[in-house]
Amino acid sequence: MAPADDPPRRLHPDRGVPDRVFRGILRGGGGLVLAIMLLVGGFLTYRAWQALSLAKWDFVTTEVWEPEGGNFGIAAVLVGTLLIAMVAILFAVPLALGTALYISEYAPPRIRQTLVSVVDLMAAVPSVVYGLWGLFYFQGHVLTLSRWISTYFGWIPLFKVDGTDPADPLSTATVYTSSTFIAGMVVSLMVAPIICSVVREVFSQAPVGEREGAYALGANRWGMIRSVVLPFGKGGMIGGTMLGLGRALGETIAVVLIISPVFVIQPHILQNGTSSVSSLIALRYGEASPLGMSALMAAGLALFLMTLVVNFAASSIVARSRSGATSDS
Amino acid sequence: MISAPVRRPRGMRVYQAQALVVALVCALLAINPPGADAATYTKISGSGSTWSANAIEQWRRNVRQQGMTVNYASVGSSVGRTQFANGTSDFGVSEIPYGLTEFGQLDPPPARKFAYMPIVAGGTSFMYNLNIGGKRVTNLRLSGDVLSKIFTGRLKQWNAPEIKADNPKLALPARRIVPVVRSDGSGTTAQFTLWMSKQHSALWNDYCRRAGKPTPCGLTSYFPNIPGSGFVAQSGSLGVAGYTKQSQADGAITYVEYSYARNAGFPVAKVLNKSGYYVEPTASGVAVALTKAQINNDPRSANYLTQNLDGVYTYGDRRTYPLSSYSYMIVPTKEEANFNKDKGKTLSAFNNYFLCEGQQQADRLGYSPLPKNLVEAAMAQTKRIPGAETAGIDINKCNNPTFSGGRNLLIENAPYPAACDRKGSNQCSTGTGGAKTPTDPSGPGAGTTGGTGTTGGSGSTGGTGTTGGSGSTGGTGGTGTTGGTTGTTGAGTAGTTGAGTAGTTTGGAVVDPDTGEVVSTGQGAGDASVVASPVALGSGDALGLRTALMALSALLLLGVVVGPPLVGRLLANRTRRKGGVA
Repeated sequence: MAPADDPPRRLHPDRGVPDRVFRGILRGGGGLVLAIMLLVGGFLTYRAWQALSLAKWDFVTTEVWEPEGGNFGIAAVLVGTLLIAMVAILFAVPLALGTALYISEYAPPRIRQTLVSVVDLMAAVPSVVYGLWGLFYFQGHVLTLSRWISTYFGWIPLFKVDGTDPADPLSTATVYTSSTFIAGMVVSLMVAPIICSVVREVFSQAPVGEREGAYALGANRWGMIRSVVLPFGKGGMIGGTMLGLGRALGETIAVVLIISPVFVIQPHILQNGTSSVSSLIALRYGEASPLGMSALMAAGLALFLMTLVVNFAASSIVARSRSGATSDS
Repeated sequence: MISAPVRRPRGMRVYQAQALVVALVCALLAINPPGADAATYTKISGSGSTWSANAIEQWRRNVRQQGMTVNYASVGSSVGRTQFANGTSDFGVSEIPYGLTEFGQLDPPPARKFAYMPIVAGGTSFMYNLNIGGKRVTNLRLSGDVLSKIFTGRLKQWNAPEIKADNPKLALPARRIVPVVRSDGSGTTAQFTLWMSKQHSALWNDYCRRAGKPTPCGLTSYFPNIPGSGFVAQSGSLGVAGYTKQSQADGAITYVEYSYARNAGFPVAKVLNKSGYYVEPTASGVAVALTKAQINNDPRSANYLTQNLDGVYTYGDRRTYPLSSYSYMIVPTKEEANFNKDKGKTLSAFNNYFLCEGQQQADRLGYSPLPKNLVEAAMAQTKRIPGAETAGIDINKCNNPTFSGGRNLLIENAPYPAACDRKGSNQCSTGTGGAKTPTDPSGPGAGTTGGTGTTGGSGSTGGTGTTGGSGSTGGTGGTGTTGGTTGTTGAGTAGTTGAGTAGTTTGGAVVDPDTGEVVSTGQGAGDASVVASPVALGSGDALGLRTALMALSALLLLGVVVGPPLVGRLLANRTRRKGGVA
């Protein structure tokens, strides 16, 4: 509409000093996080190089961990890590979803804030506390469940337990202790609050208009949740689960306290003996030899990459979902 | 800035006076800060051994009252040495020095300057969780050979004849032995494997070979765990002790410092020494044994004050506990890696405290105090710490039980083991470690079986006076017969007066040994059939087949009741929707 010889005046918004300083701090902070990430990755790669160049691709396929003999790999610990994380997610997700739904949809507003704080508090409990609780208290109680599952579902390879005979009253219960299953259950308690808070946040953002619409069409509360809240929060649920998975993969001290490390691929999750990358690092950190240290760094690098992939996948799912994008209602 | 110009001189004076006061306060603060005691010591932190952690934990709590903050992380000797070498801790604690070779890997000494000093002595004990007839065994005896076989996977059942030979009076169950080892780098493992490699090298090398390690293998901080061998590995002394004491770990045995067994309230195995006696790792047993420890006495050596325990393992004194050793602190002797004179002052004060006062508590804590020569040498090492306090330390005021009045009272007063601790004899019933309850089974007759029910059975035989009825069933001929002939004699040896006396008075009735009550179990006089070996069953019945079936039937019932209406509704919905679309 403006004439050609009268271009619109260019705007020079004077942001002002505070604005610019704030912008600079934010930009610097964001950049710093990226730089630290890169430095961590770079440092791990640098330190791992000695071990990686020695082991080459065997590093991914070898089960044993004997750096002093030059024979080491992460096949066993990686499988253990994944299995522990899977068990954790399996227990944590229903727990977290239920809690989140209750808090955001059912809980009376009076106690809602208290419940949120309690769940957040669960995330704030140090993991060594969970570990000690798991080792000294929880384990003894889970054994009955483990024994029951292995007795009646032992024909499924996953639940098989070697060295036990249900018919022998003297067979030791220790074969069920320190297992992937127990470690995963303890980790699930640490992961659940994270998933819960992400999911609860997403559920609470479900558009009011659609909720009202569902009610207007005659839905009861559960019907509304099924038709509005859950579809809306799908992305958040997947994203939260994967964030939880990221933490479960890296959980260290609680796992160290509970498991009995073995360096073979252990597919029997109820059986004594498993391993994880982070617990391997924590336990072998005192290892004296430079090669051993380098091998641990390589294991750390593998975990770092795995967690990175999981977290990126999670964030992209969250961002692409309806609930993750800027609200459209 | 300061009031009106007219009153300026006065204002200036006030200002000056204020400045003076401020300066004075500052000066005072600088010279004598508030809470002088609290602030004179800089905080220090160390890490390392879990073996000696119980003692260090107590000592650091004690010195806190004197304003010293000493942080200690019990993360295992290996990590302790690494952290000291990296300069991330002010002192390390380790059972073994730097420079040892484990599986062909040299543990290099750190670049920073350091010195070793002994901090406390103790025994690597074997804590176990074993129940016979629902009662905890507290008087197990094991020879070195058996221990090595257990921890190299050669003995798998508690009722193995080798263990039976050490414990003739225990009716050992056919339960699996679960050796619990350390999963982290540990000085306890190093001490234990060093002993195995020196004393039972064939067994240990064989185990190493099976674990895929290079042989001959000496000591190692990381216990090699063969997958599928039934071993359980846990991290930290607290971890292995905590695992062993749980009720589901029946049949477990672990190696851990004596104090952990005491704290856990669990017994430790008495270990056979060279003179043929089974000895518990008490303070005196350890002190006697360590008189044969060869200490490196060359102050110029890098390993000054470190120990050679070969003489300890084979010492012929009856009171010797063979797996005794010293624990060491690694202290810096130069200001580097964040270590300065202020920290040195705290560290030296802490050292002087525990070398003197702290040693008095060693016995109570489950350790053994250092002898005089080592306290002196350790104090000399402490003086090498930069910034060390040297004044006002009088070793003669230490009140250490190992050198009061120039005599080592701990060794002089060390009790000799009882006759029942001799190899081949019927073992003592007294408890060990943290479990002081005597083990009943060592009573006559009843000894073979161990359960209350069985003891009742033995009482019955004692009462009837049938000739050696209990003896034949129990397998402990001598005492069994005594119990059989006269109930009173039986009581004398058993220490359970109830059983014996009741036996005499009530004749043919079956008698409960604990209460002395007559139990009418219906088993007649002299019925020895009760002498079975009672065992605690696993909790398999809690969720057994019956429960499973019950759960299944409950589910089926629920399905039958709820299923049809649900399915019906679902179908109705579907048809309605289809109808709507069409």
